[in-house]
Amino acid sequence: MPVNIFGAAFHEQKLVKKALESFYALGPQTSARILAKYCIHPRAKIGTLPPKTVTALTAELSTMTIESDARKILQDNIKRLRDMGTYRGRRHAMGLPVRGQRTRNQIETARKLNKVERRG
Amino acid sequence: MQPTRCLLKRSVWKGIALLPIVRPEPGKKAAPIRTQARSATILPNFVGLKFQVHNGKVYHDVTITEEMVGHKLGEFSPTRKAFIWNKK
Repeated sequence: MPVNIFGAAFHEQKLVKKALESFYALGPQTSARILAKYCIHPRAKIGTLPPKTVTALTAELSTMTIESDARKILQDNIKRLRDMGTYRGRRHAMGLPVRGQRTRNQIETARKLNKVERRG
Repeated sequence: MQPTRCLLKRSVWKGIALLPIVRPEPGKKAAPIRTQARSATILPNFVGLKFQVHNGKVYHDVTITEEMVGHKLGEFSPTRKAFIWNKK
């Protein structure tokens, strides 16, 4: 039986902490805080949660800026740099490192991530 | 998130921003301000002014808008030329 939290289905055996961290813009620190807030053990698994806690978690997540909201903020910041015509905006548009790294080799991460419409 | 980060960029005794001498012209024609101070921070009272920022070779025209406040002048004057293979 998969359990739904904030629109995503998770397996019963998955750790609650890891399930929370699977959302974009929700990291180890925030997930630990959420677990502490709802008195969930750090190693607790999804299957052990009572349904009341699951709905409370979903309500909690819906108030946070995660997933598409967070991505929108990121993209807006890059777009602002690009529209102003800054060096950082230009480097994003070219898919090259932004912070003065060398570009002779090892720029896979920049090639993957640096875009005006950045996904992740 | 980390308020110290902007402080750690530059030591405090130097002051937060390095300013060029801006001549607010009271007269009619405001000539663009020619400067080589690329590291100068753009202040709120620069908005609307025209600068000519040096990139090491030529001066690029930069008109300051509101959202540029807090950035440096040099960010708007690119210094590198794109490499083009075998251009003749």
